[in-house]
Amino acid sequence: MPPAPRPLLAGLLAGVLLLPSLRPVPLRAQTQAPIRVPVAARRTIAVDERLAAAAGLAIGDTVRLAPTAGSLGDLVRIVAITRRGADPSEVARNEFKVRLHLDHLQAVTGSGDRVGRFAVRSSADASDEPNAAPDRVAAAINQAAFGFRAYPASAVAVETSSTFRVVNRFHRAIGVITIVASAIFLLCITLLKVDERRRDVGALRLIGCSRATVLRAIVLEATLVALIGSLLGAALGWAASAIVNWYYQGLYQTPLRFTLVTPGIVGFAVVLSLGLGVVSGLLAGRRLVRTAPLELVGR
Amino acid sequence: MTSAAPVLSAQAIRRAYPLAGRSVEAVRGLSLEVMAGEWVAVVGTSGCGKSTLLNLLGAIDRPTTGRIVIAGRDVSALGDAEATRFRLTGVGFVFQRFYLMPTLTAAENVELPMAEARVPRAQREARARELLAYVGLDGRADHRPFQLSGGEQQRVAIARALANRPALLLADEPTGELDARTGAEMIALFDRLNRDGTTIVTVTHDEELAQAARRVVHMKDGVIVDDVLRRPLDARA
Ligand SMILES: Nc1ncnc2c1ncn2[C@@H]1O[C@H](COP(=O)(O)OP(=O)(O)O)[C@@H](O)[C@H]1O
Ligand SMILES: [Mg+2]
Repeated sequence: MPPAPRPLLAGLLAGVLLLPSLRPVPLRAQTQAPIRVPVAARRTIAVDERLAAAAGLAIGDTVRLAPTAGSLGDLVRIVAITRRGADPSEVARNEFKVRLHLDHLQAVTGSGDRVGRFAVRSSADASDEPNAAPDRVAAAINQAAFGFRAYPASAVAVETSSTFRVVNRFHRAIGVITIVASAIFLLCITLLKVDERRRDVGALRLIGCSRATVLRAIVLEATLVALIGSLLGAALGWAASAIVNWYYQGLYQTPLRFTLVTPGIVGFAVVLSLGLGVVSGLLAGRRLVRTAPLELVGR
Repeated sequence: MTSAAPVLSAQAIRRAYPLAGRSVEAVRGLSLEVMAGEWVAVVGTSGCGKSTLLNLLGAIDRPTTGRIVIAGRDVSALGDAEATRFRLTGVGFVFQRFYLMPTLTAAENVELPMAEARVPRAQREARARELLAYVGLDGRADHRPFQLSGGEQQRVAIARALANRPALLLADEPTGELDARTGAEMIALFDRLNRDGTTIVTVTHDEELAQAARRVVHMKDGVIVDDVLRRPLDARA
């Protein structure tokens, strides 16, 4: 029944607490059954849901928590299973998290007074109390404290996500290349498709439809096709995005959204495609209506 | 309906095509007058310039020199926009290969020139129904060209050519794509149209079609070589 002991890497936060050193301290947890120690006497911990899933742990279980493999450690009770935050830096790492109270952590690792980082949450609302704004608080702490620096959470987020912003810029470049290439492709397709209608256009001109009428019809049709195409494309993109998110959120056990289809993106796509439709329709149509109708129908 | 004024008057028209560096004349100094109510069949061997002539008369093409007046209007030097407008309302054109819009129904094909001429919807729907009934297609108004036989498609094309009440109906080999029996039906339809007052010029090498016309004009090498009045206008058969 007890699963084999698993090595745990604890990069841990007890709500506001970070690990004593910047390097993660290896811990060891193993389930124990049956348990005969008085339940009330035990310390409590929280594990994250990936660990719970991997080791088959549930709230109320008692496990052994030790700083190194094979050492005795403590018997502790799991009282919470935590969800992971939507933090890109947590996604790809194959690690588990355990949260324990700071004094307990210090006792387990045998290294006290080694807090490297901690977070402070302001309980006041920044909109009511300007001094509660994160940058103000950080500035106040930096003035008063010695030996460490405070950063607002947003600055930390920017710092830790710089890699992702490079990746993002890279994606954007790929997107632009894709759009330019497909625009040229679509232009050619429209020219070909409209050219297939030479005979019909010629017939329309022969029976007395003006150049403007024919051009308007072609542009209208190209625009409609572009509109329907872009809406279908947006729906397809939304579905693909949903599948990608569903798959990777399951794979990495994170609420992080890997792809986004925002109204802005949909709007951009629709406008771009309408523009392309109008332009390609105009170009293709102009070529046809400038050709003599007899030449269009072919004699 | 049968006034003595010429509906069509062509004087010394020529049409030269540049061909391999030199110029080839398909119509070389041809004159022709057609009275209101006439039905003229232009006949001649293939390549003698019949289609070229008809395209000139229908403002599809412009003569190199010469003058063409149709219903009082000089059409020999019209710009593209005016020529297009003239094709819409001044003449009706029936082509050998029908040239219907494949995506439109028979009724919509007939309505098309009226829509382009800004005829109100109710009016053009009524006229399309009337014309389709006239050419014997009452039941096929909602059919698309691919659902119609060649003869039926040509009937739709004739109804379309008449939509804007042209002064003159021009037809280039209207039986060319049809079998003998359907061709005979088409000839009967032209005959009925002419008896009801439509002025018609058909170009053909179909002997039967030529025989049905009131007047037969023979062409050779771009000029008229014979002009036979088979049935005068006042001789009602
Ligand atoms: N667009 C053109 N370019 C050069 N030659 C042409 C063109 N159209 C017709 N022709 C020539 O003009 C002559 C008359 O053609 P056409 O009027 O079509 O004859 P038909 O209708 O009597 O068979 C032919 O020799 C034909 O090759
Ligand atoms: Mg011909």
